Amino acid sequence: MHGLRYLLGLMTLLGAVLGALWLQRTLRNLDDRPGVPLQVEFREARGLRPGAVVRHRGVDVGAVRSVALSPDGDKAVVQVLLDPAAAANACVGSAFWIVTPRFGGLTDGLSGLDTLVRDAYVAFATPSPRGTPLPPGSLVAGRERPPVDVDDESLEPPAHGDLLMTLLAPENHGLRPGSRVVHRGVDVGDVRRIALATDGSHVEVALRIAREHRATVTDKALFWIARPQLSGALLSGFTVQDAASLLSPFVGYHAEPGQGSLAPDGFRVAAAPSRPDVELPPVPAAAVKAGKPTPAAPAPADGIVVVRVVYSAVERDTFTPDDEIQRAGNGLLYVDRSGRAVVITARSLVDASYTESDGYGAPEIADEQIKVVLPGGAVLRAGRVWVDADDSDLAALVLDSAPPDLVGTAADRLAFAVDLVAPQAPGVVRLVGPDGAPLAPIPLGSTTAQPEALGGVFVGDGKARGVVVADDRTAVGDGAASLASVVWLHRVPAELRPQGL
Amino acid sequence: MTDAAITFAGFGLAHRRAGREETLLHGVDLALPTHGFYAFVGASGGGKSSVLRLLAGLVEPREPAPRVTGDLVVLGQSLANGFPAALRGDVAAILQDEGLLDERSPRANVELALRQADRSPLLAAGLLAVVGLDHAPDETARLSGGMRKRLAVARALASSPRLLLCDEPTAGLDPAGARTIAALLRQAHDQDRQRTTLVVTHDLPAFAGTLDGVLVLDRGRRTLRLEGPGYEPTAADTAAAPGDGPVAASEALHGVRTLLLQAAAFGESLLEAVRRLPPFELAETARATWRACVEPAPFVALGGGVLGGLATFFALQNNPLHGGMESALLTGTGKVALAVLVPLLAGFFFCARVVAGATARLGAMKRTNQIAALQMMGARPADLLLTPMVWAMAIGMPVATFAACVAASFAAMAAAAAASGTTAGGFVHPWLAALTGRDAVVVVGKAALSGLLVAVASWHLGIGPKRSSADVGEAVDRAIVAAMAIVLAVHAIVTFAEYA
Repeated sequence: MHGLRYLLGLMTLLGAVLGALWLQRTLRNLDDRPGVPLQVEFREARGLRPGAVVRHRGVDVGAVRSVALSPDGDKAVVQVLLDPAAAANACVGSAFWIVTPRFGGLTDGLSGLDTLVRDAYVAFATPSPRGTPLPPGSLVAGRERPPVDVDDESLEPPAHGDLLMTLLAPENHGLRPGSRVVHRGVDVGDVRRIALATDGSHVEVALRIAREHRATVTDKALFWIARPQLSGALLSGFTVQDAASLLSPFVGYHAEPGQGSLAPDGFRVAAAPSRPDVELPPVPAAAVKAGKPTPAAPAPADGIVVVRVVYSAVERDTFTPDDEIQRAGNGLLYVDRSGRAVVITARSLVDASYTESDGYGAPEIADEQIKVVLPGGAVLRAGRVWVDADDSDLAALVLDSAPPDLVGTAADRLAFAVDLVAPQAPGVVRLVGPDGAPLAPIPLGSTTAQPEALGGVFVGDGKARGVVVADDRTAVGDGAASLASVVWLHRVPAELRPQGL
Repeated sequence: MTDAAITFAGFGLAHRRAGREETLLHGVDLALPTHGFYAFVGASGGGKSSVLRLLAGLVEPREPAPRVTGDLVVLGQSLANGFPAALRGDVAAILQDEGLLDERSPRANVELALRQADRSPLLAAGLLAVVGLDHAPDETARLSGGMRKRLAVARALASSPRLLLCDEPTAGLDPAGARTIAALLRQAHDQDRQRTTLVVTHDLPAFAGTLDGVLVLDRGRRTLRLEGPGYEPTAADTAAAPGDGPVAASEALHGVRTLLLQAAAFGESLLEAVRRLPPFELAETARATWRACVEPAPFVALGGGVLGGLATFFALQNNPLHGGMESALLTGTGKVALAVLVPLLAGFFFCARVVAGATARLGAMKRTNQIAALQMMGARPADLLLTPMVWAMAIGMPVATFAACVAASFAAMAAAAAASGTTAGGFVHPWLAALTGRDAVVVVGKAALSGLLVAVASWHLGIGPKRSSADVGEAVDRAIVAAMAIVLAVHAIVTFAEYA
């Protein structure tokens, strides 16, 4: 009577069994997510467990799928699966290590403390320039300890205006990325990278000197790698110099103020074999009186001061991630009649609301930051005080907290009068490089399609006459500017001009 | 053969129970002529009701059927391969529990039967007048015993059946009431020249003068015979046969059969839920969905609020670190609460609030033969009961979950203000920081899927065999456990697959 029902029951039971099998297989294969599998060999797995994360620059980019012994039992083989989006960061030459709590000695202290309260994890670092990404299934040898020769992620990135230079030394003497650079006992920078010269003849130590101290580095400066030195004799007593280097070696230098020319970026200098025996002069009497030494940004030879203008902002978008806007160009620095440090530049360089547009009208621009890099390397914040209402792509900035000794363009080098303007006048455009150092002048006309030329100063007959602006302001927003126009300075309002003009 | 309403050909009937099998009838050859009004008498437990249910197509699908040998032909159609669908409407039965739909008015009961028989619902008034119920109360539950029988007759006549079966229609009535019902049945019988009526009864005097013949179940000979209208029961007819009694049968086989039938019923419930998903009874479905959305929401929201408030309060109070740490705590608590914990608790609360009631209702309907009555009318119980439940729970559960999440958020905001003085603005951002649209989709998906499965489970357990109120109670118990297990499993699997 129930014949069909018995069949249906049999099929239901069969279906249930198959369903259970499928579910079990699905759950088991749950971690078969798309990704790039890699195998990393370690001598010691250090308590790493399946499910531990893999991190690159502190971000979770994958997971450990299994930890097993190699067939010969000599190594621990860790299978990791990197997220597809992050897999390109693991390249040939990347260093993999296991992060566990470790004590790196007196100088390095403790690291990996986060793994005291959570599981050990695998980290990797990729030196730049990057190699080719590791193909899926690669077997790489892991390191037993964190690498020191890749760019240390704990170092501050160099700021605009910092001096980046290279010290050449016969031997490293224990310097590491992050080691200090010391001038007169003050930390003024750090060691970025240490590499053996290609031919092995010496060691190249990359240094960063903070921008506020770069004026102390001249081509006459003497650099040395500090090691403790014992001098004296048994009866007269001993003096230990650079005792601090016992714990952490550092780079020291000495330069006499006012001697030599300032070191440019990329400056290379050979280290002295030992600490130079120089007697530091006493504090100058003038400094005692003024209470402040007088460093100075030396004015360029023709007296026209071109500064670098760096602009950043964020365009808020409702439905998509916010766009970051980064621009860099030039500007003309002088001191106006009320003593403010004014920079005239292209408005399309420093005003994103002027160049950006979206389908809904005016976009929302936030977090605007304008920085001005002075020729000496100092970086100052600036604010927009004027834009040309007549749409000539000209803007004026005023520097916040400009130093009182700031050297601007001398008033007689500026041409604000209309009758002095000769559009066909021969001249050049002056630009500055990323570090504030002047670049070679280039003839007007060849600035087309160089976004870096924005805000460059047109100099004719020894006078600053105008500023390079964008022909098409919306093209600046797209990053492909045609910048052949020059706007003459007479558009700048009277209250922003220097005294007497 | 054509003038026989029911033909028994070598018919045998045996009850199967765990470990034993009892032969009730054996080798019956009998033809019941058309257009007779017959009483069906015999000792209790002799198989009268089994024969009647067999004839009405009401064999319980989840238990091993009585063993039937030979052939049984009803209105020219053999029942050897189950009850032919063509016979629905031609055969009507008035069961001992009348199976009246208590939730509907008497008139609506008759109208439903008329609609199922493709007849105009306007005929309901006439049918009610025929059985003397033209001034009946509006609520079926308030009808007296006699009125219920009359209404059952009216409803059975709605499809103008050719074979009308009655199981003890006069039980529980006083002699006068019994005679009235007997007369009513005879009157109804005479309305249609094609109609054959078979009445199982112990009360032959009530039917005196109305009968065309008496079908006697001879317990001793395990056979049926047709007697004249003047039949008087004899002791020989009710005496058990010598050597009568159950014989041993394989217990294991019975167990396998029961298991397969249970599995089949489970599969059938799932298939029904899918096949009958379109809301054929739109009004019923909409009403049930509306109620499932509105009624449990406050209760479930209360649960969500308590959970969200407590979790946040103690997370912040036990970690008295202000600033970023507090934000991080709120961010974590918000994600865990809104995406995982509160939906799970909302599912539990929803089950407790809705599933027990739904299963009890179905169980009671099954117990009082309302499901059987619907089946006999040719109505699909699934359309009227399962589909609305599936829709109601698959929509009601996400709605309740949403209510719980909202309540949890407000409670957490209040708790954060109390524990560490967090302002509303400072609360909202971290609380919602880690949530994405995908989380919302996952939460709604979890709730809808578990609601759907819970509805199927409730249906499946509710319409299982119900011989007693204890069976109903047990079904409710099981439904609550099953529903919570389903909620737990669905949430665990989906959450694990999504976030692990």
